Amino acid sequence: MADEWNPKILAIICNWCSYAGADLAGGARIQYPSDVRTIRVMCTGRIDMLFIMKAFANGADGVLVSGCHFGDCHYLAGNFKAAKRMFMVKNVLKNLGLEDKRFRMTFVSASEGAKWATVISDVVKTVNELGPSPIAEFKK
Amino acid sequence: MHEYAFFLGCIAPNRYPGCEAAAIKTSEKVGIKLLPLKGASCCPAPGAFGSIDLNVWYAMAARNVCLAEEMKKDITLICNGCYKSIYEVNHILKHNDDLKDRVNEVLAEIDMEFKGSQDVWHLAELYYDPKICGVQKIRDSVTTPLTGAKVAVHYGCHLMKPQKERHFGDTENPMWLEELVDALGCESVQYRNKMQCCGAGGGVRGYDITHSLDITNEKMINLQEVGADALTEVCPFCQLQFDRGQIEIQETFGVSYGLPILHYNELLGLAQGMSPQDLALDLHGIDCTPFLKKVL
Amino acid sequence: MAEKEEARVGVFICHCGTNIAGSIDIMDAVEYAKTIPNVAYADQYQYMCSTPGQGKIVEAIKEHNLTGIVVAACSPRLHEPTFRVATKEGGLNPFRFEMANIREQNSWVHMHDKESATAKAKDAIKIAVAKAALLEDLIPKSVPVEHAALVVGAGVGGIQASLDLASAGIKTYLIEKWPTVGGRMSQLDKTFPTLDCSQCILTPKMVDVGRHPNIELMTYCEIEKVEGYIGNFDITIRKKARGVLSPDEATARGIVGGGCNGCGDCAEVCPVIKPNPFEMGMAPRKAIYIYHAQVMPLLYTVDFDACVKCGLCVDACGDKKAIDLEMEDEFITLKIGTAIIATGYNLMPIENKREWGYKQFDNVITGLEFERLICASGPTGGHLIRPSDGETPKSVGFILCAGSRDNTGNGKPYCSRFCCMYSLKHAHQIMEKIPGTKVYLFYMDIRSFGKMYEEFYYRIQSEGAKFIRGRVANVLEDPQTRNLYVRAEDTLLGRPVEVECDLVVLAAAVQPVDEEDVIRKHFGVSKSQDGWMLEAHPKLNPCGTTTAGVFLAGVCQGPKDIPDTVAQAEGAASAASIPIHIGQVELEPYFAQCMEELCAGCGMCIDLCPYQALALVDRSDGSGRKVMSVTEAKCKGCGTCGGFCPGGAIKMQHFTSPQIHAQIDAFLCGGEQ
Ligand code: FES
Repeated sequence: MADEWNPKILAIICNWCSYAGADLAGGARIQYPSDVRTIRVMCTGRIDMLFIMKAFANGADGVLVSGCHFGDCHYLAGNFKAAKRMFMVKNVLKNLGLEDKRFRMTFVSASEGAKWATVISDVVKTVNELGPSPIAEFKK
Repeated sequence: MHEYAFFLGCIAPNRYPGCEAAAIKTSEKVGIKLLPLKGASCCPAPGAFGSIDLNVWYAMAARNVCLAEEMKKDITLICNGCYKSIYEVNHILKHNDDLKDRVNEVLAEIDMEFKGSQDVWHLAELYYDPKICGVQKIRDSVTTPLTGAKVAVHYGCHLMKPQKERHFGDTENPMWLEELVDALGCESVQYRNKMQCCGAGGGVRGYDITHSLDITNEKMINLQEVGADALTEVCPFCQLQFDRGQIEIQETFGVSYGLPILHYNELLGLAQGMSPQDLALDLHGIDCTPFLKKVL
Repeated sequence: MAEKEEARVGVFICHCGTNIAGSIDIMDAVEYAKTIPNVAYADQYQYMCSTPGQGKIVEAIKEHNLTGIVVAACSPRLHEPTFRVATKEGGLNPFRFEMANIREQNSWVHMHDKESATAKAKDAIKIAVAKAALLEDLIPKSVPVEHAALVVGAGVGGIQASLDLASAGIKTYLIEKWPTVGGRMSQLDKTFPTLDCSQCILTPKMVDVGRHPNIELMTYCEIEKVEGYIGNFDITIRKKARGVLSPDEATARGIVGGGCNGCGDCAEVCPVIKPNPFEMGMAPRKAIYIYHAQVMPLLYTVDFDACVKCGLCVDACGDKKAIDLEMEDEFITLKIGTAIIATGYNLMPIENKREWGYKQFDNVITGLEFERLICASGPTGGHLIRPSDGETPKSVGFILCAGSRDNTGNGKPYCSRFCCMYSLKHAHQIMEKIPGTKVYLFYMDIRSFGKMYEEFYYRIQSEGAKFIRGRVANVLEDPQTRNLYVRAEDTLLGRPVEVECDLVVLAAAVQPVDEEDVIRKHFGVSKSQDGWMLEAHPKLNPCGTTTAGVFLAGVCQGPKDIPDTVAQAEGAASAASIPIHIGQVELEPYFAQCMEELCAGCGMCIDLCPYQALALVDRSDGSGRKVMSVTEAKCKGCGTCGGFCPGGAIKMQHFTSPQIHAQIDAFLCGGEQ
């Protein structure tokens, strides 16, 4: 694996908007980079900060959380409550000395297939620019 | 002082030097400093170049932007045609990486690179922007209010359209230039089909002069209808079409209107106390004296 | 690990013809799957969702004694239910199934890079297996369904849906914000292409909803709050103060033989005059009013914003005592099983397109205004006049796609779908009523796609209407004559045209009603990119939404003409009646559960729950300390509590923390072989 580095990026996304948006991108055959692996939860509200910290501890180069737009959450305001936590994640990452750009929260609705593709491309681009996560390097 | 790289263009210095003088002097009084953009070429003209070879258009315009990037200054200019070329190319290249790479390949031959780090503004919009200057500052800078004159406004197509690539909001009935005109003490008037083309742009003047004059003529009729004492615009090419065009209209259709045409900078210059000689108003095709008599 | 039994997962990878196999090396993935810990069996098949494909799952469960199933195929949003059934048939709990999405989120979006697509598919399978190994048996909860339905909006769609539901024996509440039912269709004069009179075909239906024993008509009402879930929605309705009592309400107040009988004596004496929105503001109404003669119910309404409370109407009403000027808004709660949203449309504010001069020039009007002007019951008694001087127009220009199919950012990118046809109809009506009038239609394309529509188009052409293919650049007014000059480029002839017209009609684009966002959010329905409500599936579930038990009918889901609206309304009614007739629904068992031994009773989760499903109760061990407890029927399984619980004491079934941690580990640790 030393010859070529491919970023390991985890996306945790909500079932109702972002997952549906990602499916729509598929239906429309919009091509985007293949470095992201997704885990589906019902709502971004479900996402425990520990999930993200665990991913980084395990050597993830980037983590993306994506849900519905504010006001559109299937469960009223789960995304809002999640967003508050995600700010904390950013702070913790900074304090740990990890670039907080490796973590991102976005809002992609069920009808925004094209936006999903741009978000993924953008996340991959950012992580590529940052290079491998120092934690992953350390673990080697 | 806000500093900008001043892109001069071709028509202003060659046909209406007053525009150039006015731009530099008036802007200084409202806190905008224009620095010469050394080594600038033609913008290049959007109709003449753009409709024949887009790649040349991109590359030449990008080169002008590069000069400003080297100065680390945003560009400002006083001509709608230049605005179309330089603003739009800058905008397009910033949003299209492929094209940017292609243009940079060409620019590499002269050791230049388009980075997309600067913006492009029309001087008139800087005047209107409250963060830079704003209507109030313009009003405060007036020493000789131009009271008693009705002035109509022509925006010009390249300034406002295509709507999607501009940032002016309403392109069908904008009112911001009117506000700037009213600030000088004169009264702006509305007329029929205000947003109609001057008749010159897009190569129409070069291709079919009669048709182009036809359009100008209609504009003149609409202006006469509301009794405008002068027409102001923000583009030397529109100015050329309205000013010299009136003489051509007389030759072709036999009607004369005698409507003085002034660039907004010239108008502002008058209001700030510059003399008609400083503004080279005697070089205009249509005699400005009736208007000057009314306001000075 | 948490399981006592050893996990034995079966993996099945679908080719989906070449949809998946075209970009992913299936055989390689199968071989890889066999190496993943806990995998007891791995196989592939052409179409897993087919009967033989599902049969493979059933067999393998029995043969290999599997405890969990992973199917790597399309999106779980499509086929999760299918494979759950297969899992169940094999004798496992249906929730011991997990899907790996290798089509929508893999093969279709990485079509040209087989290598990395295959790598991604392997990871997806590994992640799914990690979860499948930890899945537990879950029992869905069955809840009874209230034998009643709600229909929001009483236009033609809402009326049809209510009639269908009610005739199927379901108690139906039809609520409408206007004081009368009928909606947009009641404003129309004729309908295309049959040219029958809109009121004539609608009024009987309006009367039917008024007297159907199963329909409770609630006009002048708005939705205030929606709570609950499929089968058991609690709806709070704001009954706006109408200022007028119906005969029933009067009787309830002890006024015998009283209440409004629609005589109109009150309106006669009312001194306040306002524009009538039903006539698009072109006719007056009083502060106490009805929209038009055929309103249903026939009850006057007081416009309290305009009323000066002079009391003249109260005197005129006399013994009927129908008017109560001190009336206040009331709140009513309803219990319903399913709901249909049919809120319809508004015209976009076409004055924003300044180039066409609407609201600047009197003689530029919209299509809906034209309908009222040409309608025999309209403000002019059906005589088409131009607003500036009341003259009969001799030439009329129609601007089609006014604001539709417009990508300038100032209009709507979509096609409004019925403007072409109604403009053709308008053209016909003018030529019929005022022979000799010249009619010009400026169009981009004529979209006459429905039954008998194209034939109608030919008919209008042969009647002499002029069709000019070109988008109108601007409309100018001659200040003296008030005539309009319409300028466009005739794209067929390739030259500019200018036509002088007495009257210009804009076929303005339609947009969702102003309240749509509010209603949408009440019911948790998503919005599509163009602003209309989002259906569950554009092809296979056009009436459903992502909220179980909520359905869509008519234009609120996207522009539609009357036949399509009625068809969709009947579809929605049928879909909405299914759970009601079955009498119960199964809820997905994704409830939160409190692990008492970990819960410290801090109560942080209580406020986070959007559904008030959580409460603090006394611990069962009698220690006097508190623990959280969940009311399962109220919990919808979002997991917001579980994502926050500082002690990790909340178990979100099917999305438990150990499961998600295992998924993360599977992806990031001990991967690549
Ligand atoms: S359901 Fe998508 S964020 Fe809550």
